[in-house]
Amino acid sequence: MLGRSSSKDAAGRPAPTLESCLHRVALGDRDAFDAVYEQLAGPVFGVARRVLRDPAQAEEVAQEVLVEIWRTAGRYDPARGSVRAWALTMAHGRAVDRVRSVDAGARREARVAEMMTEAPYDDVVETVEAHLDRQRVRHCLETLTELQRQSVTLAYYGGYTYAQVARLLETPLGTVKTRMRDGLARLRDCLGVGG
Amino acid sequence: MDPEVHALTGAYVSHALEPAEREAFEGHLEQCPTCRQEVAELRETAALLASAASEPPPARLKAAVDARIAVTRQLPPIVERSAAEAEPAAGTAVRGGTRRRWLTGLGWGLATGLAATVAVLGVRVADQQNQLDQAHQRDTTIAALLAAPDTRTGSVTVTTGGKGMVLVSRSHDEAAITLTGLTRLPSGQAYQLWMMGPSGARSGGLLPTGSGGTSGSVLAHDLGDARTIGLTVEPSGGSAQPTTAPIMLLPMPA
Repeated sequence: MLGRSSSKDAAGRPAPTLESCLHRVALGDRDAFDAVYEQLAGPVFGVARRVLRDPAQAEEVAQEVLVEIWRTAGRYDPARGSVRAWALTMAHGRAVDRVRSVDAGARREARVAEMMTEAPYDDVVETVEAHLDRQRVRHCLETLTELQRQSVTLAYYGGYTYAQVARLLETPLGTVKTRMRDGLARLRDCLGVGG
Repeated sequence: MDPEVHALTGAYVSHALEPAEREAFEGHLEQCPTCRQEVAELRETAALLASAASEPPPARLKAAVDARIAVTRQLPPIVERSAAEAEPAAGTAVRGGTRRRWLTGLGWGLATGLAATVAVLGVRVADQQNQLDQAHQRDTTIAALLAAPDTRTGSVTVTTGGKGMVLVSRSHDEAAITLTGLTRLPSGQAYQLWMMGPSGARSGGLLPTGSGGTSGSVLAHDLGDARTIGLTVEPSGGSAQPTTAPIMLLPMPA
């Protein structure tokens, strides 16, 4: 769904899908793990860094998650979603867990102003695929209402609970809850994510 | 469906719920195929938000990960229940949920129960190693059994009460058997296991039921042609052949 089926390796052959690589990882295939690493290390590290900010902590989370992908490859269930979503859900969840355990209230609040004014994406060196994903996501985020966009990005990139987001945006809880859902649903439709 | 609960799908996939809410919502998900479908779609969407944040990690990350996976044992896959026991399939999402519950109910219980309480049957026990060595060997054997690529599981009800579960690997020629919730026997009687195949029944020994008397685990070697594990009630010293009707016939998947 990310258009990665058209990816080519150095010899011009279509790159194997993450799903087929992960299947081989479950059999203990280290080469297949290298291919999985190649495709997922960037987003795993990137989302952890986005949420945690601190590169050293992001690196620790990325390491945990990538080892967990190796360890639990045999437990991946395709009926529950793509390998990419499985891995990145894990990465995001662990980054958020860590931010909640280390980030005591006051220190956290100080970051809010920074979060709110900053452009949603840093300028960093990136792969072509990451660049394309970034452009599509940026475009689709622009189609959301302001409240939808803030609710989604504060929760997802900021690592805030929806109650914290409601307080930050001075908006009722129920409204924020709903905006997170319909904001993501609109992103889904804009990005063409199938069910 | 409660629209209030359903509205939590977005916060859920964003990891924006407090732990208690998260647990409650996961409970709801088990009952709500529509919610599972929406969660799956929004999760794919959230994954694109993660992809859009992609950054090249430092090169040392690969070396660190490689060093750790070199010493990290992989979890075995979850094995489907036999067709006879499987619940009717009702869509992929439901199947996923069923499988996960099954793992919780049987797989983990079996694994942890075994690690804690297993005893060793068969010829190897005759070596009379000291207890520490035996315990170590059991743990190693169970870990190897759980990791074997051809490990299969099965479970069945004991007619007089309780449940029997088996984890078997033909390539390792080993089976781990756990019985739980058994009826307590009067003194003078014991539960005896039998390895049953085309050539008849071999004793698998008395079930070590510990102080409670209602559960026990064994690890069986040298399975030979045995296809079924039988359980009978015998005099406390055990019998050479079954003297009562089996109260459990637990098939060992080939």
